[in-house]
Amino acid sequence: MTFITKTMLTLAAGALSLTGLAQGAQAEFAAVGDPKPAIILFGPTNDGGWSQSIDEARQTVEEELDMRIPQAEEIPESATAIRPAAELFIDRGSNIIIGSAFGYSDTFKELSEQYPDILFINPAGITNGPNLKSVYGRTYQSQYLCGMVAGGLSKSGKIGFVAANPFPLVNWTVNAYLLGAREVNPDAELTVVFTGAWGDPVKERAATQALVEQGVDVIGQHVDTPTPQVVAEEAGIYATGHHRDLSEFSEATQCSSVWTWDKFLVPEIEKIAAGEWEEAPYGAFLGIDEGGTDVACCGDAVSDELKAKVMEARDKIISGEAPVFAGPITDRDGTERVPEGEVLSDADLWAMDWFVPGVTGGE
Amino acid sequence: MATTENLSLRERATKPRPAFRLVPLLEPRQKVGETRRIAVYAASLGLAALLSVLLLAVSGVPPSDLGTEIAATAFSSPRALGSVLAQMAPLVVAGLATAIAFRANFWNIGLEGQMILGAICATAIAIFDIGPEALRLPLMMLAACAGGMGWIAGPAYLRQKLGVSEVITTLLLNYVAFNLLLHLLYGGWKDPVSSFPHSEQYEAVERLPQLGWQTLTWALPFAGILAAALWWILSASRLGYLLDLLSANRDMARAVGVPVAGLSLAAILASGAVAGLTGFVISAGIEGRMTQDFHVGYLFNGVLIAFLGRNHPLGVVIAAFFMAVLVQVGQSLQVFFGTPFSLVRLTQAIFIICVAGSEFFLTYRMNFRSAS
Repeated sequence: MTFITKTMLTLAAGALSLTGLAQGAQAEFAAVGDPKPAIILFGPTNDGGWSQSIDEARQTVEEELDMRIPQAEEIPESATAIRPAAELFIDRGSNIIIGSAFGYSDTFKELSEQYPDILFINPAGITNGPNLKSVYGRTYQSQYLCGMVAGGLSKSGKIGFVAANPFPLVNWTVNAYLLGAREVNPDAELTVVFTGAWGDPVKERAATQALVEQGVDVIGQHVDTPTPQVVAEEAGIYATGHHRDLSEFSEATQCSSVWTWDKFLVPEIEKIAAGEWEEAPYGAFLGIDEGGTDVACCGDAVSDELKAKVMEARDKIISGEAPVFAGPITDRDGTERVPEGEVLSDADLWAMDWFVPGVTGGE
Repeated sequence: MATTENLSLRERATKPRPAFRLVPLLEPRQKVGETRRIAVYAASLGLAALLSVLLLAVSGVPPSDLGTEIAATAFSSPRALGSVLAQMAPLVVAGLATAIAFRANFWNIGLEGQMILGAICATAIAIFDIGPEALRLPLMMLAACAGGMGWIAGPAYLRQKLGVSEVITTLLLNYVAFNLLLHLLYGGWKDPVSSFPHSEQYEAVERLPQLGWQTLTWALPFAGILAAALWWILSASRLGYLLDLLSANRDMARAVGVPVAGLSLAAILASGAVAGLTGFVISAGIEGRMTQDFHVGYLFNGVLIAFLGRNHPLGVVIAAFFMAVLVQVGQSLQVFFGTPFSLVRLTQAIFIICVAGSEFFLTYRMNFRSAS
């Protein structure tokens, strides 16, 4: 995961050239020849969300690169569990270890230092090094597009959002969702409920029901289960999904923000095979067309006109013509966050602790 | 010929029974020798291994490969032993915490909550750099004990004064503790370096030092010393003797002058303190910081280990080792054969059920007698 704090940026700007350091370190790492990846999966392969999206990418990569990728599932975020799984794979000849969790970050860092000839890649991680790359997606891009769908479908202009935990990478999906909705419906308002858990169907159901009772007619989400979709269908309203195409769980789903890890992993593994892999001091922060999150759009309720609008916005995000967090953006307390003519920096994205006007909840 | 259902009572009573029928008769054993105990456990492990191999063979894992891969690779290398021992350390402490409470007939289901409070208090010492560096670790340890004790004190009071079931109170306090943990990690205690939701990394003086073999830290000897100390207290000291009296028969113990209330309270608080230490061992001995999910799974593992270890410190150590081996073998199965985790979990369950079930054969003698 690209991760930059303001302090780190300042340090990098003032201190020795980071690229110089990176190249020096990269020279040490060139050992992976014939790539033999293995995956350590945080959840079960059928969790319907995060872990399953990685498992599905594994199958695509296996087909496209004609290789077999062994995998160990349900490895918890604890050093005592991650390390033996990684070392068993390394003993068996794996030379690329792919993780899948934020909680693997520290252990992957230690392992990468201990095994300089092995390459480590960690989706959702936050540590990087000469042979370690953390990866995350610019999820706000796809959530912005799903927000457009929500704005177009909402009759009342009241939109609900069920979110996991209030911290930057969730906050930005909430903000982007409303910005997208307002692109279509300028009066749209959004109420967010944080459940405090990544996957808790009971709390998610309660949160969604509370939002339905407040009169929202579209539900967005950034949690690990399809519960909000299921409740939306029961209530006869629309919903949008996260992680995977959640229309398989509920007909209410009209758009989903979906991981496309294979689009990142295939070229990445090819680069490794060709000896062209490069260290990224801040990891990889993947856009909508680089293996981050794309959209599965749209459901039957979405008009052709709205769908065309969404796809046009998608093209403009890819080309850089219309970035999601383009100024002027003021937060709901009146503080200016992005001046006119500028775009929110990655550093500010990773520190996002504010909400745009029109967002209720999340205090 | 009439079926049994159609026979009248009278007919049934006079109907000739089969000439020879065996009826199992259960007799409680008065005394179980060590040899028999070991033999029964060994037989149960053998049965579990046999069932698991059969199950895996049906799912396409050749038994011969199982032998070479699991036995040769997973057990012979020092690294495999190292990772089993590393996983075992916090399990021992968690099992001890549960066992102490169970010894006093206090069903402490709040291990995870007490672990969290222990880790929170220890982390507070680390974050705010309280005390001189040389005393930092002992202070963190004391704070962890205090945190765990504090979290169990409420349920202990409610149980002793008002008779409120500790199963409910300790269990529910787990959720309160978890939300407190999230509140801190997503709020004031988030990592100042990355602003991600885990505490800042502990400094070197705030971590249990490396042992110098594999990746083991002092967490393992710490668990060992704790187990030995508790073994002495529970098995050799006067306190342990009184506690045995108390758990055998509370009224009788009171009648002969055992300070029942004080003694149970002491055992309950000790359980909370050791639970707090579990949180400390994981944070300072394994993760190097307080993470969001460090406690997950320890409640059930703690109960299981205390049960398998018969609430005895030495038994707890053996049971924790057994559990760590199961985890290691489970990972090996996934890595070597691509066995799905659900199947791995099934084989683990077979082992646990077989060992737990063997208890029956130690408690009872089964006599088959002819019913005729």
